[in-house]
Amino acid sequence: MTEYRGWIHQRQKELMQQWYARLDESARTGWPPAVCLMISGNCVEVLEAFGIVPIYPEVNALQLAIRHQSLEPILTAEEFGYATDNCAYVKADIGAYLMGVTPTGGKLPRPVLVLCNFVGCNTYIKWFEHVAAFLEAPLYVLDVPFLRSEEPSPADVAYVVAQLHEVVQRIEEITGLRFDMDRFREAVRCSQQVEELWSRIKHLAQRAPSPFDAYFDAITLMGPLYVHRARPEGVEFFRLALAELEAKAARGEGVYDREDFRVVIEGPPPYPYFRVFRDMFARWRATAVASTYSTVGGLWEFGFRHDPEKPFETVALHMLAHNLTNRSYLQRYDQIRRYVQQWHADGVIIHFVKSCRLFSAGQGDMRDYFTKVLGVPTLYIESDLEDPRYFAEAQIRNRVDAFFEALERHKHAIAM
Amino acid sequence: MRLAAGVDVGSTQTKAVILAGDDEPRILARALVDTGAHVLRAAELAFHAACREAGLDPHEIEMIVGTGYGRYRVAFGHAQVTEISCHARGAHFVFPETRTVIDIGGQDAKVIHVGSEGAVRDFVMNDKCAAGTGRFLANAAEVLGLDLEEIGSLSLRATDPVKLTTVCTVFVESDILSYLAQGRRPEDILRGVHLAIARRTVSLARRIPIEPAITFTGGVARNVGMVKALEEVLGLPIQVSPDSHFMGALGAALFALERLERGLEAGTSS
Repeated sequence: MTEYRGWIHQRQKELMQQWYARLDESARTGWPPAVCLMISGNCVEVLEAFGIVPIYPEVNALQLAIRHQSLEPILTAEEFGYATDNCAYVKADIGAYLMGVTPTGGKLPRPVLVLCNFVGCNTYIKWFEHVAAFLEAPLYVLDVPFLRSEEPSPADVAYVVAQLHEVVQRIEEITGLRFDMDRFREAVRCSQQVEELWSRIKHLAQRAPSPFDAYFDAITLMGPLYVHRARPEGVEFFRLALAELEAKAARGEGVYDREDFRVVIEGPPPYPYFRVFRDMFARWRATAVASTYSTVGGLWEFGFRHDPEKPFETVALHMLAHNLTNRSYLQRYDQIRRYVQQWHADGVIIHFVKSCRLFSAGQGDMRDYFTKVLGVPTLYIESDLEDPRYFAEAQIRNRVDAFFEALERHKHAIAM
Repeated sequence: MRLAAGVDVGSTQTKAVILAGDDEPRILARALVDTGAHVLRAAELAFHAACREAGLDPHEIEMIVGTGYGRYRVAFGHAQVTEISCHARGAHFVFPETRTVIDIGGQDAKVIHVGSEGAVRDFVMNDKCAAGTGRFLANAAEVLGLDLEEIGSLSLRATDPVKLTTVCTVFVESDILSYLAQGRRPEDILRGVHLAIARRTVSLARRIPIEPAITFTGGVARNVGMVKALEEVLGLPIQVSPDSHFMGALGAALFALERLERGLEAGTSS
C-alpha cells in the first residue's frame, strides 16, 4: 500500500536505536542513570536536567507488540496471576521482565528511581508499584490531580510544583548528582521548540491533501517526541521533519496518489496488527488528519508550550492540563470536534481498547454525541492496543469497508 | 438487456442472485449452497447454480459483485461491497419505504439505518461474539433435538415462556438443559430463546435511530417465531420478503448493475 517513507522514518529509527543504546550502556556500566517514567504528560525535562535516561515501560510494551512479540509476555503475566482484563500494556511489560526479554534484545537497566507521574490512569500506580517491587527500586508517585475544570487551580499547580521539587531532592539523594537549573531551563527550552515544531507539523494536516497521516505517521514521530523532546537532537529532528513535510505540502503531495477521505482517529492503534490496520484505511485512500492518541504525551496544537522562564510551573501545567489523559471526557469531545471542523474531516473513527478502561469507557456515548448531536459520520470498532487475541480482522475490515462505502455514497450524492 | 450477479459468501451459507437490468431490474435466478471450508469453491458453486437456473452461460454475466465475509475470496468477482451496504440496497429495492434493516445471519446481527435513496446512514453490529445470532438458534435446536426449520413455528405455541438469563451461544446449552430438567415444555423454552435474541437485537438497534419501515433480512428472517418475537419487543410491524435470505446477494447484484450503468470497468473502485 502507498504510504509516505521519507527521511523522517529513517532518522526516527536511528534516534530510537540511540535511546536503546543509551539504556543498554546504562545497564552494562551503570551510567547514565535511568529512571522509569510514564508517557502520559511526562516530566522528562526534570530527568534531562540530571542527564538521566528515561525508561518508558509503555514504549517497551508497544515495541513488543509491533514486533509481534507481545502475546508470550502477556500469557506469562497471566500465568503469574494477572487477570485477563488487566491492562495489556502492564501484562506485556511485567511478562517481559519475568521472561527477561526486551524488544531489541539489548539490556534494560535497573532504574535508580521508579517515577510514577500518575496522570489520569490509576492502573499506572499499580503498574509502577509492581515494577518497583520486581526491580527492588525506590518508587515516587507524583500525585497529579485530575483536571476538574477548564484550567487547573493555582493550588493544583503549587501542589505539583512542590512534588517536583521533592523529586529533584530525591534524585539528588539517590544519585549524588546536583540539580543544574541552567540545564533544566535548557531542557525546557528544547521542549518548547519541539512543541512549536510539532504543532506546526500537525497544522500542515489541515491542508488538502494532508502531507502526512496524523495517526499512523504521527506515531512514527511520537518516539522521538517522548524520548528526545528535551534534547537538542529532538529539536534538530523536528526542524528537519517540518521542513520535509512543508516541502511535500508545497508540492501538493498527500499520503496517497489521491486523498479520498479525511478522518479523525480516536484511541491508540492495535499495535500487534499495525500494518494490517493501516492498510484497511490505505485501501480507501483515507488519511487521518488528526488523532487524539498523538496528544497522550502532550496537547500542543492549541497553543500550550513549556516555558524556560517558568520551568517548574509549566512542567506542572503540562502534567495537569495539557495532555489527553488528565482531561475530562467533555474536553476530549471538544478536542475531536475542533479537529473535525478545523482539519476538515469527513468522519471520526473510534478505536475502543478492550483492556484500557481509562481510554475507552464512555466511547459509546462519544459515538452518539458525534453521530446524533453533531451529525458527523462515526465508526466504532473494538480490539486492543497490545493483546493480539482481541483483533478480529474480518469483522474490523467489514466495519471499516462499510463505513467508507457509506461515506463514498454520501459524497457521491452531494456531488450529483 | 444487461446481466449482473451478486454472490454473498456468508459464514454459514453462500447465496447468488442473477439480475437482468431492464428498465426495472428483474431477478432471473437464485442459488444457495453451504459455505463449508472452501470459500471460493462455494462461491463458484452458487454462482454456477444460479446461472444454470437462469439458463445462462456464466460468461454472459457482465459484472459480478462479491459480498459477505468471504467477499475478497470471490476471485471471479469484479468488485467487493460489504454485506452492510448490500442488505440496505437489497431491502430498499424490495421495500422502498425501508428505513431500518435488521439482518440476522449465521454469526452476526446488524441493524442498519437506511436513507430514502437506499444508502447506509449508520449501522451497528454485534462484536466478536455470536450471542443472539443464527448460531444461537442452531445450538438451541440441537440441544432440544429439533430441526432448525421447525423451531420458529413451534415457539409460537408457547403458553408460559421461560426467561433465559443468557444469550451466550455456548452457555445457552446448560440453560436449556436445566429448564428441561425442571420439566418445562420445549415450545416454552424456544419462545424464551427467541425473545432473548429479540431483546438483544433491539437493544443493539436502539443505539441508532429505529425508523419505520423495518425490514428483516438474513437467514434468520425465515424463522416466523423470530419475526413475531422482534415485532413484540419492538412494538412495531416488520416486513419480511420471501427473498430475505438472498437480500445480501440481491444488493450485490444491484451494485453490479449500477456499475454497468455507470460504465465502470472491472477492478475500478466506487
